[in-house]
Amino acid sequence: MNWFPIFYREILLFQRRLLRLGYVVSALFAPLLYLLAFGLGLGKRVAIPGTSYLDYLLPGLIAMSSMTNAYTWVANGLTVGRLHFRTFQVYVQAPVTATAIVVGELLAGVARGLFASLIILVLGLLLGSRLQLNLMFVLALILNCALFAALGVIVGMRSRSHEDTATFTNFLIMPMAFFCGTFFPVNEMPWLVQVIINCLPLTHTNHLLRFPAWTLADLGSLLVLTAYGLFCIVLGIIIIRRYSE
Amino acid sequence: MIITQDLSKHYREVVALDGLYLEIHPGEIFGLLGPNGAGKTTTIKILTTLARPTRGRAFLQDYDVVRQPLPVKRLIGVCPQEINLDKELTAYENLWIYGRLYRLPDLHKRIKELLDFGDLSDRASHLVKNFSGGMQRRLLILRALMSRPQVLFLDEPTVGLDPQVRRQLWSLIQQLKMEGITIVLTTHYIEEAEMLCDRVGILNRGRLIALDTPAALVARLGGYVVEAMHNGKREYHLVKDKAEAYSCAQTENCEVIIRKVNLEDVFIQLTGERLSR
Repeated sequence: MNWFPIFYREILLFQRRLLRLGYVVSALFAPLLYLLAFGLGLGKRVAIPGTSYLDYLLPGLIAMSSMTNAYTWVANGLTVGRLHFRTFQVYVQAPVTATAIVVGELLAGVARGLFASLIILVLGLLLGSRLQLNLMFVLALILNCALFAALGVIVGMRSRSHEDTATFTNFLIMPMAFFCGTFFPVNEMPWLVQVIINCLPLTHTNHLLRFPAWTLADLGSLLVLTAYGLFCIVLGIIIIRRYSE
Repeated sequence: MIITQDLSKHYREVVALDGLYLEIHPGEIFGLLGPNGAGKTTTIKILTTLARPTRGRAFLQDYDVVRQPLPVKRLIGVCPQEINLDKELTAYENLWIYGRLYRLPDLHKRIKELLDFGDLSDRASHLVKNFSGGMQRRLLILRALMSRPQVLFLDEPTVGLDPQVRRQLWSLIQQLKMEGITIVLTTHYIEEAEMLCDRVGILNRGRLIALDTPAALVARLGGYVVEAMHNGKREYHLVKDKAEAYSCAQTENCEVIIRKVNLEDVFIQLTGERLSR
């Protein structure tokens, strides 16, 4: 499967954009703002049983940043590349399979999500967080990036304009960022809302990043993320395979 | 080399291409001529696997374009109308990524060879966004040549370029023909079609309305045109030879232009419209 050139192209473009300071700042501005405002400001007044608010918030922000960065990079890249710059058409006319395109885009999204997570993690640790890192944490983080990068493939391929991508972000990504346990525990929400929230993937990522262990509940969350991820990957492959102008 | 049978493409109620029968021979430069919206780009999109036809079939060297897209893709090089290079990357990087998509061996050597051929060697490590329009267009053609395609599709290759750069690209295209590559190009520039193409298919509103060599198409109308301007409206008189043109001009009581018949006259004769509508 010839995914490497697709991945490499995205990484080169990412590298070029990293050199622009404004780009990095704008991409990471929101989570950094949350970390400083909520973690240091509001955090002193919020009590989470058994932990400090900063330790509670940091995994949530890492989950949120990995989600938004992996998703946005892929969704915007495909929308703009397909509709505006028409660079996506180069892949369609080259002898590469739809699977290779999805894998290349997805891995680039993962790289981007992990990069954003690392910055938040380092900043959180510098601010005094005592976050525990283990294999489950890393695995959940990678799965989260992959799942939302695959969702980005679907949205990027189905959007008919840049506004479509933004609409999808506003109606799905933003609510998830706020309600899936990023800033406050889910179990304090009304019963019915909890049921809905527990069906959303970011809730499971937040759970896994906060309590990274190999318990049955953690494995269940891991399974949910994997199922969502596989569903998005398969759907993305089908959409690209059927692509026709 | 390329055969299309009843090839059609509808976008809801809009008929972009309507029952195209075509046979393109190996080694020729085949031109699709027509105004905007005639179906030229749609034809190219179908033949390069970017669009699926609503009806009909297309074959490239016995491979069905819809059912066997992968072998078709290995045979073709595509230079689209819009410059879809990665402008944030260098010329070398653009060619390298494209070459890797085709799993080409000796990639570095091939890139060097092509940059030399396209006179862009000294620009290999420059970002494409800093290239002039003509250089970007040249790089786009070089990229399409990376995989040593047997068929090269050029969709409006010189659109938006100044006359001098256009002539440079024409000479590049003629060089490619000498190497035996079959070239399918779309254009709405009369001069381009006449200068480059061995045969021309004229498309209008999705239908093929004429197909022949430029010389044969022009010969159908006679040798010369007398253009006369009457009350702001241009009138055309087709005549056989110069002598007939002079006598026709003498009957007009306004300024006239006598010139040779060209493909635009063929188009006007067939459709009643100008090419650049």
